Amino acid sequence: MKITLTINGREYTRDIAENRTLLRFIREDLGLTGTKEGCGAGECGACTVIVNGKTMNSCLMLAAECSGAVIETIEGESESGELSKMQQAFHKHHAVQCGFCTPGMIMSVKALVKKNPKPTVHQIQEAIEGNFCRCTGYTQIIEAVQAGTDQRDEQEELRRV
Amino acid sequence: MLQTFSYVAPDSRKDLLAILNKEGTRAKILAGGTDLMVDIRGGKIAPAFVVDIKKIADLKGVSYSATEGLSIGAVTTCIELVTDKTIVAKFPIIADAASRLGSTQLRNRATIAGNICTASPCADLSCAMLALGASVEIASMTGTRIVKLADFFTGVKTTVIKADELVTRLIVAPELVNAKFGMEKLKRIKGHDLSLASVAVVKTGTLLRVALGSCAPTPIVLPDFPANAPLASILEVAGKTIKPIDDVRASKEYRKMMIMTFIEQIILRL
Ligand SMILES: Cc1cc2nc3c(=O)[nH]c(=O)nc-3n(C[C@H](O)[C@H](O)[C@H](O)COP(=O)(O)OP(=O)(O)OC[C@H]3O[C@@H](n4cnc5c(N)ncnc54)[C@H](O)[C@@H]3O)c2cc1C
Ligand code: FES
Ligand code: FES
Repeated sequence: MKITLTINGREYTRDIAENRTLLRFIREDLGLTGTKEGCGAGECGACTVIVNGKTMNSCLMLAAECSGAVIETIEGESESGELSKMQQAFHKHHAVQCGFCTPGMIMSVKALVKKNPKPTVHQIQEAIEGNFCRCTGYTQIIEAVQAGTDQRDEQEELRRV
Repeated sequence: MLQTFSYVAPDSRKDLLAILNKEGTRAKILAGGTDLMVDIRGGKIAPAFVVDIKKIADLKGVSYSATEGLSIGAVTTCIELVTDKTIVAKFPIIADAASRLGSTQLRNRATIAGNICTASPCADLSCAMLALGASVEIASMTGTRIVKLADFFTGVKTTVIKADELVTRLIVAPELVNAKFGMEKLKRIKGHDLSLASVAVVKTGTLLRVALGSCAPTPIVLPDFPANAPLASILEVAGKTIKPIDDVRASKEYRKMMIMTFIEQIILRL
């Protein structure tokens, strides 16, 4: 069947297999491989994308369901060639180690910050509850989100190290 | 790769019911897909048709009237239940239960009818809706019937729903508007996880009702108690009713102990 949808501001029309997951469609049909497949079963959040403003596990969705949808993926963060403010904060605060969880993590954080520009630690934790990180540890990720929302005193941090 | 199937997304209830009627067990309803897609991927089911019901306008939305009570459309998602003004003001236990399901990503997709139709013993919304004494409206080509949620579950992951039927909405009678409530859910981790034992209680001036999850083949509700029922009598009935099991996630003794502890904590608080 034919679907038309918008990803990171660009419109795509494609013929798809009806059993194609949104995740496979994004990665394999469109070649946007920033979005990852971890578990394929809704547990890990590596496949998180923003669909019509809401984060969703693209592994549990069919591309066929998304005709007309407006979707955001990690590739949209640095379209200008420069990392977004949140990506820079992740970089600076060592919130990325292997990086496998990062695209999904950034999508969850982006949707949070859009609704709530100054989230508390608890609100950040809740927003990334469905995003598993197996290497960095969540402390740096939470610190990065605080920095990315101008909630950390950089001078104080320098004094600490 | 997922097994092959055809995707259909009818935009009216009539068309949907006609497809279910024609295809029977070859068709599977897709709501939020958070259970269905896992089952398809795992090879547990192999439908020839996946029928998306989210394009049907009259399966959406929440409304309240003093005569019928609360009506929740089948495809209402957890995030809509958490934020809906009527639910938060009049039936906050539903918002509380929805906020405990899975992660943000799942709450943005998972629907209330999907939760009850999956009929998992640990389903969070089912437990709260049982405590509220909810009814389920079910439609097929031949008409509509209403079943008490307490009679809806028939066993582990089985319900009274037939292959040609659709859950259209859930209804909660007005008597329980603004009822006091308490809920507890035991999980292995602080983040998103399925329940190991859960308790939902509602209390009005005259009535106290206790629903329990993850301690029997289906979510269960105890017979109604008077509002002032002594704790010991509630614990006695609960102890006799539950049949928790040992599995990879918890032992039956632990589940039982936590069910009893939660009931006690909630009753003392209400
Ligand atoms: C990682 C993960 C974590 C989870 N955590 C929780 C949790 O904490 N608590 C919890 O309760 N659940 C949890 N779940 C289970 C699931 O998210 C819920 O059961 C959810 O409410 C299912 O709704 P859905 O709309 O996604 O259903 P779907 O997957 O679309 O459907 C589920 C089943 O119901 C049928 N169905 C759906 N709608 C109708 C209808 N209107 N009429 C007739 N049949 C219908 C479908 O055919 C299918 O068999 C989790 C799932 C995953 C993958
Ligand atoms: S790949 Fe989708 S949640 Fe893990
Ligand atoms: S950085 Fe490796 S999983 Fe998070």
